[in-house]
Formats: sequence, structure tokens, C-alpha cells
Amino acid sequence: MNQLPSSMSVLHDAPSTVSTDIALSVRALDFWYGEHRALKAIDLDFPRRQVTGMIGPSGCGKSTLLRVLNRMYDLYPGQRATGEVVFDGRNILSPGVDLNVLRSRVGMVFQKPTPFPMSIYENIAFGVRLHERLSRADMDARIEDVLKRVALWTEVKDRLRAPAAALSGGQQQRLCIARTIATRPEVVLLDEPTSALDPVSTARIEELLDELKQDFTIAIVTHNLQQAARCADQVAFFYLGELVEVDSAGQMFTAPRQRRTQDYITGRFG
Amino acid sequence: MTSTPPIALSDAPPRGWQTTGLLAARRRLRDRLATGLSWAATALVLVILASILLSLLLKGLPGLTPGALFRSSAPPGAHGGLANAIVGSLEQTGLALLIGTPLGLLGGIFLAEYGQESRFSTLVRFVSDMLLSAPSILIGLFVYLVIVAPQGHFSGFAGAIALAILAMPIIVRTTEDMLRLVPVSMREAGMALGAPRWRVIVFLCLRAARGGVLTGILLALARVAGETAPLLFTSLGNMTWSLNLNAPMASLPVAIYQYAGSAYDDWVQLAWTAALLITAGVLLINILVRFGFRRGT
Repeated sequence: MNQLPSSMSVLHDAPSTVSTDIALSVRALDFWYGEHRALKAIDLDFPRRQVTGMIGPSGCGKSTLLRVLNRMYDLYPGQRATGEVVFDGRNILSPGVDLNVLRSRVGMVFQKPTPFPMSIYENIAFGVRLHERLSRADMDARIEDVLKRVALWTEVKDRLRAPAAALSGGQQQRLCIARTIATRPEVVLLDEPTSALDPVSTARIEELLDELKQDFTIAIVTHNLQQAARCADQVAFFYLGELVEVDSAGQMFTAPRQRRTQDYITGRFG
Repeated sequence: MTSTPPIALSDAPPRGWQTTGLLAARRRLRDRLATGLSWAATALVLVILASILLSLLLKGLPGLTPGALFRSSAPPGAHGGLANAIVGSLEQTGLALLIGTPLGLLGGIFLAEYGQESRFSTLVRFVSDMLLSAPSILIGLFVYLVIVAPQGHFSGFAGAIALAILAMPIIVRTTEDMLRLVPVSMREAGMALGAPRWRVIVFLCLRAARGGVLTGILLALARVAGETAPLLFTSLGNMTWSLNLNAPMASLPVAIYQYAGSAYDDWVQLAWTAALLITAGVLLINILVRFGFRRGT
């Protein structure tokens, strides 16, 4: 997977105008659940091939922002976003964006592992077949490749045809990550991917993030501040729908500039 | 500010393991009473069920001869069989499922995935549930008016339509219920890969719900296999061997209805055998359902 998937750019529009080291750029974003304004004037850049950690107390809007980035909120009437999210030179909030193509380029991994009711092999092939027509051999190679990348290959190579539901929680989550990167996205969104996992599985996923950022831009929502400190290059702190502070992980956890950030990371609330 | 607890719990006398007193005795009594009543009710149902099965076996089995299975109806005393009724039942229930299953599945998918709580789907759900509990003879009359009367003759096809109308609401309801059990997270995970909605429904949701959906279809089959009333007005019954769906057609329930009321011993015997065959068939379906359900989940 050395080739950049942006070569198959399907979001047919003008070439990129943002500087190339920014993969996703959020500008003046407001989000509404009906009458409730859940995000207020958010401006945030996601540097390419870096991990951006999003932290903050429950209900602060961090997961909401994640669900804007692949327009997951579109499934639910009454939810709407205004402002701009620029990805590959195009505002993805504008009408006419092909959501299926967008979601193949901005993949998402959820809090709870969501294996599909089919074999390990088919779980990955399902997503690939949506966007590419591969020969049997190519599909086998793709599946082996992504399973190796999530360090699951040695554990499952002899039972690729076994139902995915038989895997442990941690293995299921790694399978879900494999499934997501198998469609060759540019951005991978992770919504508290380890909160349902044991410490060992959590550690493996965190190691994996370091690997994955060689090729993907990663946005991760987490409740676990240590996790953000360990994994993220850039950390964004949200509070009550506002983006309070964005900084490098080192700066944020040693010398936050905002009082609210300091209160949160020292455990005074949240 | 210091405060003392209003009641010192440690001052209570040691309780030990013995539950004593009026309260405990009353609870024990009520517990025994409820348990006893549950047992009695279960036993009653089982006794009734066993006695039905036993008398069916005792009276039906002696008539279960090759002649009964492979010969068609004949006048009393002429050694007739049930072959035409067996084939008629298979043909009509088979066609009924062929028609009712796709319609029921689509209806259930619509209600669970697309319509959800809209006014239109509330109406559809209400009508479907009403159909579910409608007397089956009404369905027979309806098909009589719509198909049999205009055509001018009874037919196996009309019988199959009547049975399909009975099967459909069962399949609609179970399909909807089973699809609603599929977690939202599965749908979101599918959409997040860039799958269009119909693919998520067909390849993920229906697949996850397949055990329950299959159960619904087989339950519908079991239900319509034993229906008599709607067939009386539609396929009527036929004393001769016939595979023609455009002509009156025999069926096991109608054969029971005709034979059991007759004055001839050999016909009454055939009625018992037919009843045994239907019961065994439905029982077999139910066993298949449980087997399928366990594998599906």
C-alpha cells in the first residue's frame, strides 16, 4: 500500500488549494441536533499522516465532530452542520458530495467492535468490493496485507473462513481497523476505539496507531488522557461544544495555555 | 461539621441464617402456591397436547398404508387414498409461500428500514396486524369475490392466493421485528465503509437477522398448512388426482373436513390419517425452525 489512494480521486472537483500537509481542514463549523447547538464555530486542521487526539468531557462535542468528518450524521434527520470541512480541495458539507465515495476515503472505526455476520475474510472483502473489482488473487493479497498491518494475520490466517464473531473483542476491533484501511482511505477516524477493550488489547491498538500514521491521517476521540498523550501528535481539547485549545501533545499535557484545559487534564472536572 | 448516624446499624441483634416470623412464613407460602399453580398449568397444557397427539397416533397410524399415501380419493368402500390431497396441499402452500414470502419480506424491510415511524408505515403496520388476526374465512370470501367469482370456477391458484394473504402479515411482522433487533452500530459500520443503504440492508441487516426471518417464514408455513376455511371458498376440493392450479384442487384440511363428517368408516379413517399427516408435517417444520434458529443465532 505504497501508492497514495488520492490518485483515484473521485471527488471530481478543483485541485487542492490547501497546503498539502493538511489533510482535513475544519472552518467555522457549527453543528445542530435539532435546536441544540452541539459545536460552536470550530476551526481545526488535521495534519497529514499525524495523529490528532480529541479529548474533553462527555457531551463536549468531540464525537460529534468526528461524525461530521465522514458525514455520518446524514443518517439522522434533524442533525445538520454549517460551515466548511475541506478535504482534497472540496467542502464535504456541500450538497452533491458522493457520500459513499467520501466514506471510502474517510474511514471510521467505532467504539464497540462491529464485526459483520460473516467470515473474517468476507468482513474485509465486503468493504473492498464496494469500491473496487479485484481478482481473487488480488483480493487475497489485499486481505493478507491489511491483516498483517493490524497484526492479526498470524492469529487468523488458518481460519479466514471462520465467523468473525468468534474472535475476541480486541481481535474484532483490529479486524474492524483492517476492514477500514482495506478500502484505502486517506483519513481514519477512530471513536474511542479502545474503551471497550482490556489493557493488553488497548496497548496493541495504540502500537498500531503509530504504524498506521505512516500512511494515514488519523483522528482519534478518547476519554483516556494517557492514551492521547501516548498516541497523539496534536491534541484538541473540547468543552461544551467549543474547541478550547489545540496544541502538540507535549505542550498540552505539560503547559496548557488555557485554564479550562489545565482543570480538565488535572482531573478537576470531567 | 460532624454528624452522627441516626441509626447505628451495628446495634441490631445478630440475624443468623434462620428466616423467621410471620412475614417470612407468608412469603414462603405464596412462593409455594405460585410454583404449584405454574406446575399445574404446565401439566394441564401438556396433558391436553399429549392426548391430542396420542389419539391422532392411535387412530391415524393404522390407516397410514401405502394405499392411503399413493391413491387418490375414491367412493366409500373403494379403497381411496390421500394422494391428491397431499399433492394439492404441497402445491397450494408452496405457491402461497412463493407469493407471500417476497411480499412479506419487502413489507417488513420497508417498515423496519425505510418507513419507520412515518404516518404511512404506522397505517401499513396497523393493517398488517389486523390482517394477522382476521378470521381466515373472511380471507377465503375475499378471494372468492375477487378471483373465483369473476373466473367462474374454483381453482388451486385461488386457494394459494388466499393462503398467501394469510402468510404475508406473519412474515411482515417477524421480518420487521428481527430487523429492528439488528443494532444501529452494524448499520453505521456498513455505511462508514461507503456502502449504499440497500447493500447494508440486504447484505448486513438481513444477514444478521436471517435466523429470525427464516423462523417467521416457517411459522407462516405451519400456520397456512392447516387452514381449511379459506380453501373451502377458493380451491373447494377435488376427488380426483389433479396438478392443475387452474382447476379445483384437493388439500389435506379440506379432505379432513369432508371425510370426518361422513358416515363411512373408511373415509373417517382417512380423515384421521390426513390429520396425522398435517400434524406430523407441522411438527417437522417446527423442529426445523428451532434447528434453523439455533444455527442462525
